[in-house]
Amino acid sequence: MNVDDDTRFDEELMARAAKLDASVEPSRDLWPEIATAINAPARPNRSVWNSVWAQAAAVLLLVGGSSGVTYLTMKDGSDSALPMIGTQELVFTPVSGSFGSQYSLGPDYQDARRELASRVEERLENLAPETREDVRTNLESIRQAIEDINRALAEEPDSVLLQELLLDTYRDELSLMNKVDGITRAAMRRGDI
Amino acid sequence: MQAQLTKKTGDSEPESRPNVAEVENDESRWVRLAQAADSRAFEKLYRAHVNKVYGLCLRMTGNPSEAEDCTQDAFIQAWNQLSRFRGDSAFGTWLHRVAVNTVLGRMRKSRREQDRIRAVSDVAPRPELMGDDGELQDLEQAINELPSGARHVFVLNAVYGYSHSETGDMLGIAEGTSKAQLSRARRLLAQQLKMESA
Repeated sequence: MNVDDDTRFDEELMARAAKLDASVEPSRDLWPEIATAINAPARPNRSVWNSVWAQAAAVLLLVGGSSGVTYLTMKDGSDSALPMIGTQELVFTPVSGSFGSQYSLGPDYQDARRELASRVEERLENLAPETREDVRTNLESIRQAIEDINRALAEEPDSVLLQELLLDTYRDELSLMNKVDGITRAAMRRGDI
Repeated sequence: MQAQLTKKTGDSEPESRPNVAEVENDESRWVRLAQAADSRAFEKLYRAHVNKVYGLCLRMTGNPSEAEDCTQDAFIQAWNQLSRFRGDSAFGTWLHRVAVNTVLGRMRKSRREQDRIRAVSDVAPRPELMGDDGELQDLEQAINELPSGARHVFVLNAVYGYSHSETGDMLGIAEGTSKAQLSRARRLLAQQLKMESA
Protein backbone atom coordinates (compact mmCIF):
# COMPACT_ATOMS: atom_id res chain seq x y z
CA MET A 1 0.00 0.00 0.00
CA ASN A 2 1.53 3.36 -1.04
CA VAL A 3 1.28 6.86 0.45
CA ASP A 4 -1.76 7.76 -1.67
CA ASP A 5 -3.58 4.69 -0.43
CA ASP A 6 -2.72 5.57 3.17
CA THR A 7 -3.97 9.12 2.71
CA ARG A 8 -7.18 7.92 1.10
CA PHE A 9 -7.75 5.39 3.87
CA ASP A 10 -7.12 8.08 6.48
CA GLU A 11 -9.63 10.41 4.85
CA GLU A 12 -12.21 7.62 4.67
CA LEU A 13 -11.58 6.84 8.33
CA MET A 14 -12.27 10.44 9.38
CA ALA A 15 -15.34 10.58 7.15
CA ARG A 16 -16.65 7.40 8.73
CA ALA A 17 -15.97 8.80 12.22
CA ALA A 18 -17.94 11.92 11.34
CA LYS A 19 -20.87 9.68 10.35
CA LEU A 20 -21.06 8.17 13.83
CA ASP A 21 -24.00 9.59 15.71
CA ALA A 22 -22.96 11.63 18.73
CA SER A 23 -26.25 10.71 20.43
CA VAL A 24 -26.58 7.34 22.13
CA GLU A 25 -29.64 6.39 24.12
CA PRO A 26 -28.88 4.92 27.56
CA SER A 27 -30.44 1.55 28.36
CA ARG A 28 -32.53 3.10 31.16
CA ASP A 29 -33.86 6.42 32.35
CA LEU A 30 -31.09 8.00 34.40
CA TRP A 31 -33.20 10.94 35.58
CA PRO A 32 -34.83 9.50 38.77
CA GLU A 33 -31.45 9.04 40.50
CA ILE A 34 -30.28 12.46 39.35
CA ALA A 35 -33.52 14.01 40.65
CA THR A 36 -33.04 12.32 44.00
CA ALA A 37 -29.48 13.60 44.25
CA ILE A 38 -30.22 17.20 43.30
CA ASN A 39 -33.32 17.42 45.48
CA ALA A 40 -31.55 16.00 48.54
CA PRO A 41 -31.17 18.48 51.40
CA ALA A 42 -27.95 20.43 51.06
CA ARG A 43 -25.16 19.39 53.38
CA PRO A 44 -23.77 22.08 55.67
CA ASN A 45 -21.28 24.10 53.69
CA ARG A 46 -17.92 23.32 55.21
CA SER A 47 -15.29 25.39 53.56
CA VAL A 48 -11.99 23.64 52.87
CA TRP A 49 -10.16 26.75 54.03
CA ASN A 50 -12.07 26.83 57.32
CA SER A 51 -11.00 23.26 57.91
CA VAL A 52 -7.39 23.97 56.97
CA TRP A 53 -7.19 27.04 59.21
CA ALA A 54 -8.88 25.22 62.06
CA GLN A 55 -6.35 22.40 61.83
CA ALA A 56 -3.45 24.84 61.58
CA ALA A 57 -4.75 26.69 64.63
CA ALA A 58 -5.13 23.43 66.52
CA VAL A 59 -1.57 22.37 65.70
CA LEU A 60 -0.17 25.76 66.78
CA LEU A 61 -2.13 25.73 70.03
CA LEU A 62 -1.12 22.16 70.70
CA VAL A 63 2.60 22.60 69.99
CA GLY A 64 2.78 25.89 71.88
CA GLY A 65 0.87 24.63 74.87
CA SER A 66 2.69 21.32 74.99
CA SER A 67 6.13 22.95 74.78
CA GLY A 68 5.19 25.52 77.42
CA VAL A 69 3.94 23.08 79.97
CA THR A 70 6.87 20.73 79.37
CA TYR A 71 9.29 23.60 79.99
CA LEU A 72 7.46 24.78 83.10
CA THR A 73 7.11 21.37 84.72
CA MET A 74 10.71 20.38 83.99
CA LYS A 75 11.88 23.74 85.31
CA ASP A 76 9.77 23.44 88.47
CA GLY A 77 11.14 19.97 89.14
CA SER A 78 14.77 21.11 89.20
CA ASP A 79 14.31 24.51 90.83
CA SER A 80 14.43 24.65 94.61
CA ALA A 81 13.25 28.28 94.83
CA LEU A 82 9.69 29.00 95.94
CA PRO A 83 7.30 29.30 93.04
CA MET A 84 5.62 32.66 92.37
CA ILE A 85 2.06 31.58 93.03
CA GLY A 86 -0.47 33.40 90.89
CA THR A 87 2.04 35.30 88.80
CA GLN A 88 3.49 32.44 86.79
CA GLU A 89 2.11 32.08 83.29
CA LEU A 90 0.27 28.78 83.19
CA VAL A 91 -0.10 26.50 80.22
CA PHE A 92 -2.49 23.60 79.71
CA THR A 93 -1.88 20.06 80.83
CA PRO A 94 -4.03 17.15 79.76
CA VAL A 95 -5.32 14.24 81.73
CA SER A 96 -4.69 11.59 79.14
CA GLY A 97 -2.59 13.49 76.65
CA SER A 98 -5.44 13.57 74.20
CA PHE A 99 -6.60 16.52 72.18
CA GLY A 100 -9.81 15.69 70.37
CA SER A 101 -9.57 12.65 68.16
CA GLN A 102 -6.96 13.90 65.73
CA TYR A 103 -4.02 14.89 67.88
CA SER A 104 -2.09 13.53 70.79
CA LEU A 105 0.59 15.08 72.94
CA GLY A 106 4.26 14.15 72.71
CA PRO A 107 6.10 11.75 75.10
CA ASP A 108 8.19 14.58 76.69
CA TYR A 109 5.05 16.40 77.61
CA GLN A 110 3.46 13.22 78.95
CA ASP A 111 6.49 12.56 81.20
CA ALA A 112 6.53 16.13 82.50
CA ARG A 113 2.82 16.10 83.22
CA ARG A 114 3.07 12.75 85.00
CA GLU A 115 5.87 14.10 87.18
CA LEU A 116 3.88 17.18 88.15
CA ALA A 117 0.74 15.15 88.90
CA SER A 118 2.75 12.75 91.02
CA ARG A 119 4.30 15.63 92.95
CA VAL A 120 0.86 17.16 93.50
CA GLU A 121 -0.42 13.86 94.92
CA GLU A 122 2.46 13.84 97.39
CA ARG A 123 1.84 17.47 98.36
CA LEU A 124 -1.87 16.81 98.88
CA GLU A 125 -1.02 14.48 101.74
CA ASN A 126 0.41 17.48 103.62
CA LEU A 127 -2.82 19.47 103.41
CA ALA A 128 -5.69 19.41 105.89
CA PRO A 129 -8.29 16.71 105.05
CA GLU A 130 -11.01 19.28 104.12
CA THR A 131 -8.67 21.24 101.89
CA ARG A 132 -7.37 18.03 100.33
CA GLU A 133 -10.93 16.94 99.62
CA ASP A 134 -11.77 20.31 98.06
CA VAL A 135 -8.71 20.20 95.82
CA ARG A 136 -9.46 16.64 94.71
CA THR A 137 -13.08 17.54 93.94
CA ASN A 138 -11.95 20.53 91.89
CA LEU A 139 -9.38 18.46 90.01
CA GLU A 140 -11.99 15.79 89.27
CA SER A 141 -14.41 18.40 87.93
CA ILE A 142 -11.75 19.83 85.66
CA ARG A 143 -10.71 16.39 84.41
CA GLN A 144 -14.33 15.45 83.77
CA ALA A 145 -14.70 18.64 81.74
CA ILE A 146 -11.58 17.73 79.75
CA GLU A 147 -13.04 14.32 78.95
CA ASP A 148 -16.36 15.86 77.90
CA ILE A 149 -14.71 18.41 75.64
CA ASN A 150 -12.49 15.72 74.14
CA ARG A 151 -15.57 13.67 73.32
CA ALA A 152 -17.21 16.71 71.72
CA LEU A 153 -14.01 17.36 69.75
CA ALA A 154 -14.09 13.81 68.44
CA GLU A 155 -17.46 14.71 66.92
CA GLU A 156 -16.35 18.12 65.66
CA PRO A 157 -12.56 17.97 65.27
CA ASP A 158 -12.41 21.32 63.44
CA SER A 159 -14.28 23.34 66.05
CA VAL A 160 -11.98 26.17 67.07
CA LEU A 161 -14.33 27.03 69.95
CA LEU A 162 -13.98 23.54 71.43
CA GLN A 163 -10.21 23.57 70.91
CA GLU A 164 -9.91 26.87 72.79
CA LEU A 165 -12.22 25.60 75.52
CA LEU A 166 -10.10 22.46 75.89
CA LEU A 167 -6.91 24.50 76.14
CA ASP A 168 -8.47 26.77 78.78
CA THR A 169 -9.53 23.73 80.78
CA TYR A 170 -6.06 22.21 80.55
CA ARG A 171 -4.71 25.54 81.80
CA ASP A 172 -7.17 25.48 84.71
CA GLU A 173 -5.97 22.03 85.71
CA LEU A 174 -2.32 23.04 85.48
CA SER A 175 -3.00 26.23 87.39
CA LEU A 176 -4.63 24.28 90.22
CA MET A 177 -1.83 21.70 90.32
CA ASN A 178 0.84 24.43 90.34
CA LYS A 179 -0.95 26.26 93.14
CA VAL A 180 -1.15 23.10 95.23
CA ASP A 181 2.51 22.37 94.54
CA GLY A 182 3.56 25.93 95.41
CA ILE A 183 1.37 26.28 98.51
CA THR A 184 2.49 23.02 100.05
CA ARG A 185 6.14 23.73 99.31
CA ALA A 186 5.81 27.16 100.91
CA ALA A 187 4.07 25.65 103.92
CA MET A 188 6.86 23.13 104.34
CA ARG A 189 9.48 25.91 104.25
CA ARG A 190 7.63 27.90 106.92
CA GLY A 191 7.26 24.75 109.00
CA ASP A 192 10.97 24.12 108.75
CA ILE A 193 11.66 27.63 110.08
CA MET B 1 -33.98 -1.25 26.05
CA GLN B 2 -30.32 -1.65 25.19
CA ALA B 3 -27.92 1.23 24.74
CA GLN B 4 -27.87 2.00 21.08
CA LEU B 5 -25.12 3.43 18.95
CA THR B 6 -26.84 4.98 16.00
CA LYS B 7 -25.81 6.08 12.59
CA LYS B 8 -26.45 9.62 11.50
CA THR B 9 -29.36 9.39 9.09
CA GLY B 10 -29.20 12.74 7.37
CA ASP B 11 -33.00 12.73 7.10
CA SER B 12 -34.61 16.12 6.78
CA GLU B 13 -36.35 17.35 9.91
CA PRO B 14 -40.15 17.30 9.99
CA GLU B 15 -41.76 20.69 9.41
CA SER B 16 -43.60 20.59 12.75
CA ARG B 17 -40.31 20.48 14.63
CA PRO B 18 -39.31 23.81 16.24
CA ASN B 19 -36.49 25.65 14.55
CA VAL B 20 -33.04 26.15 16.05
CA ALA B 21 -33.76 29.65 17.34
CA GLU B 22 -36.89 28.46 19.17
CA VAL B 23 -34.99 25.59 20.74
CA GLU B 24 -32.25 27.97 21.85
CA ASN B 25 -34.79 30.35 23.34
CA ASP B 26 -36.42 27.49 25.21
CA GLU B 27 -33.04 26.27 26.35
CA SER B 28 -32.00 29.70 27.60
CA ARG B 29 -35.22 29.90 29.57
CA TRP B 30 -34.71 26.43 31.04
CA VAL B 31 -31.15 27.36 31.99
CA ARG B 32 -32.32 30.53 33.73
CA LEU B 33 -35.02 28.65 35.61
CA ALA B 34 -32.63 25.84 36.53
CA GLN B 35 -30.15 28.40 37.80
CA ALA B 36 -32.95 29.54 40.09
CA ALA B 37 -33.13 25.95 41.44
CA ASP B 38 -36.08 24.81 39.28
CA SER B 39 -35.45 21.08 38.97
CA ARG B 40 -38.27 20.66 36.42
CA ALA B 41 -36.50 23.04 34.08
CA PHE B 42 -33.29 21.13 34.68
CA GLU B 43 -35.09 17.92 33.73
CA LYS B 44 -35.97 19.53 30.38
CA LEU B 45 -32.26 20.27 29.89
CA TYR B 46 -31.48 16.69 30.87
CA ARG B 47 -33.99 15.27 28.34
CA ALA B 48 -32.57 17.49 25.62
CA HIS B 49 -28.93 16.57 26.20
CA VAL B 50 -28.78 13.18 27.86
CA ASN B 51 -28.19 11.16 24.70
CA LYS B 52 -25.24 13.26 23.58
CA VAL B 53 -23.73 13.30 27.06
CA TYR B 54 -24.22 9.56 27.41
CA GLY B 55 -22.74 8.97 23.94
CA LEU B 56 -19.69 11.00 24.91
CA CYS B 57 -19.29 9.16 28.23
CA LEU B 58 -19.80 5.78 26.54
CA ARG B 59 -17.15 6.41 23.93
CA MET B 60 -14.71 7.88 26.45
CA THR B 61 -15.06 5.06 28.98
CA GLY B 62 -15.82 2.22 26.59
CA ASN B 63 -18.24 0.74 29.10
CA PRO B 64 -22.04 1.19 29.22
CA SER B 65 -22.40 0.84 32.99
CA GLU B 66 -19.53 3.24 33.69
CA ALA B 67 -20.97 5.61 31.09
CA GLU B 68 -24.34 5.64 32.89
CA ASP B 69 -22.65 6.50 36.19
CA CYS B 70 -20.59 9.22 34.50
CA THR B 71 -23.70 10.67 32.86
CA GLN B 72 -25.53 10.85 36.17
CA ASP B 73 -22.50 12.37 37.89
CA ALA B 74 -22.10 14.87 35.07
CA PHE B 75 -25.68 16.12 35.38
CA ILE B 76 -25.40 16.33 39.16
CA GLN B 77 -22.16 18.29 38.78
CA ALA B 78 -23.82 20.50 36.18
CA TRP B 79 -26.69 21.22 38.58
CA ASN B 80 -24.24 22.13 41.33
CA GLN B 81 -22.18 24.34 39.03
CA LEU B 82 -25.02 25.95 37.09
CA SER B 83 -24.40 29.33 38.67
CA ARG B 84 -21.00 29.36 36.95
CA PHE B 85 -22.55 29.00 33.49
CA ARG B 86 -22.55 32.51 32.02
CA GLY B 87 -23.66 31.66 28.51
CA ASP B 88 -20.25 32.35 26.96
CA SER B 89 -20.62 29.08 25.06
CA ALA B 90 -23.63 26.96 24.15
CA PHE B 91 -25.10 25.11 27.11
CA GLY B 92 -24.41 21.78 25.37
CA THR B 93 -20.72 22.64 24.98
CA TRP B 94 -20.50 23.63 28.65
CA LEU B 95 -22.27 20.40 29.60
CA HIS B 96 -19.81 18.37 27.52
CA ARG B 97 -16.94 20.00 29.40
CA VAL B 98 -18.54 19.01 32.68
CA ALA B 99 -19.01 15.46 31.37
CA VAL B 100 -15.40 15.19 30.18
CA ASN B 101 -14.18 16.45 33.56
CA THR B 102 -16.41 13.91 35.28
CA VAL B 103 -15.05 11.05 33.19
CA LEU B 104 -11.44 12.13 33.74
CA GLY B 105 -12.05 12.65 37.47
CA ARG B 106 -13.51 9.18 37.87
CA MET B 107 -10.65 7.68 35.88
CA ARG B 108 -8.10 9.43 38.07
CA LYS B 109 -9.81 8.12 41.18
CA SER B 110 -9.47 4.57 40.00
CA ARG B 111 -5.84 3.67 39.37
CA ARG B 112 -6.85 0.35 37.94
CA GLU B 113 -9.50 1.87 35.72
CA GLN B 114 -8.15 0.38 32.50
CA ASP B 115 -8.03 -3.16 33.86
CA ARG B 116 -11.45 -2.81 35.41
CA ILE B 117 -13.10 -1.48 32.28
CA ARG B 118 -11.45 -4.08 30.13
CA ALA B 119 -12.58 -6.82 32.51
CA VAL B 120 -16.15 -5.51 32.55
CA SER B 121 -16.34 -4.95 28.83
CA ASP B 122 -15.23 -8.53 28.28
CA VAL B 123 -18.38 -9.77 29.96
CA ALA B 124 -20.72 -6.87 29.21
CA PRO B 125 -22.99 -7.26 26.20
CA ARG B 126 -21.84 -5.19 23.28
CA PRO B 127 -24.10 -2.25 22.53
CA GLU B 128 -26.54 -3.07 19.78
CA LEU B 129 -25.81 -1.23 16.63
CA MET B 130 -28.59 0.14 14.54
CA GLY B 131 -28.49 -0.08 10.82
CA ASP B 132 -26.55 -2.50 8.71
CA ASP B 133 -23.37 -0.53 8.31
CA GLY B 134 -20.71 -3.06 9.26
CA GLU B 135 -17.96 -0.54 8.70
CA LEU B 136 -19.35 1.74 11.40
CA GLN B 137 -19.66 -1.20 13.77
CA ASP B 138 -16.04 -2.09 13.14
CA LEU B 139 -15.02 1.52 13.71
CA GLU B 140 -16.93 1.71 17.02
CA GLN B 141 -15.20 -1.46 18.17
CA ALA B 142 -11.79 -0.20 17.05
CA ILE B 143 -12.30 3.15 18.84
CA ASN B 144 -13.22 1.24 21.99
CA GLU B 145 -9.89 -0.57 21.86
CA LEU B 146 -7.75 2.56 21.55
CA PRO B 147 -5.56 3.61 24.50
CA SER B 148 -7.47 6.11 26.62
CA GLY B 149 -5.48 9.23 25.65
CA ALA B 150 -5.85 8.61 21.93
CA ARG B 151 -9.47 7.51 22.34
CA HIS B 152 -10.50 10.66 24.19
CA VAL B 153 -8.95 12.94 21.59
CA PHE B 154 -10.38 10.95 18.68
CA VAL B 155 -13.89 10.95 20.16
CA LEU B 156 -13.92 14.67 20.92
CA ASN B 157 -12.25 15.72 17.68
CA ALA B 158 -13.38 13.25 15.02
CA VAL B 159 -16.80 12.23 16.35
CA TYR B 160 -17.98 15.32 18.24
CA GLY B 161 -16.24 17.82 16.00
CA TYR B 162 -14.38 19.85 18.60
CA SER B 163 -11.26 21.66 17.43
CA HIS B 164 -7.84 20.72 18.78
CA SER B 165 -7.89 23.87 20.88
CA GLU B 166 -11.25 22.94 22.42
CA THR B 167 -10.25 19.30 22.80
CA GLY B 168 -7.00 20.24 24.51
CA ASP B 169 -8.88 22.64 26.77
CA MET B 170 -11.43 19.99 27.77
CA LEU B 171 -8.83 17.31 28.42
CA GLY B 172 -6.30 19.62 30.06
CA ILE B 173 -3.61 18.96 27.44
CA ALA B 174 -1.77 21.17 24.97
CA GLU B 175 -3.17 21.67 21.48
CA GLY B 176 -0.06 20.00 20.06
CA THR B 177 -0.60 16.99 22.28
CA SER B 178 -4.16 16.75 21.01
CA LYS B 179 -2.87 16.73 17.42
CA ALA B 180 -0.28 14.09 18.27
CA GLN B 181 -2.87 11.90 20.00
CA LEU B 182 -5.23 12.21 17.04
CA SER B 183 -2.46 11.18 14.68
CA ARG B 184 -1.68 8.22 16.93
CA ALA B 185 -5.37 7.26 17.09
CA ARG B 186 -5.68 7.39 13.29
CA ARG B 187 -2.59 5.24 12.86
CA LEU B 188 -3.81 2.66 15.38
CA LEU B 189 -7.32 2.63 13.93
CA ALA B 190 -5.96 2.22 10.43
CA GLN B 191 -3.85 -0.75 11.54
CA GLN B 192 -6.79 -2.29 13.36
CA LEU B 193 -9.30 -1.84 10.55
CA LYS B 194 -6.90 -2.97 7.85
CA MET B 195 -6.14 -6.07 9.88
CA GLU B 196 -9.83 -6.83 10.22
CA SER B 197 -10.53 -6.34 6.53
CA ALA B 198 -7.55 -8.46 5.47
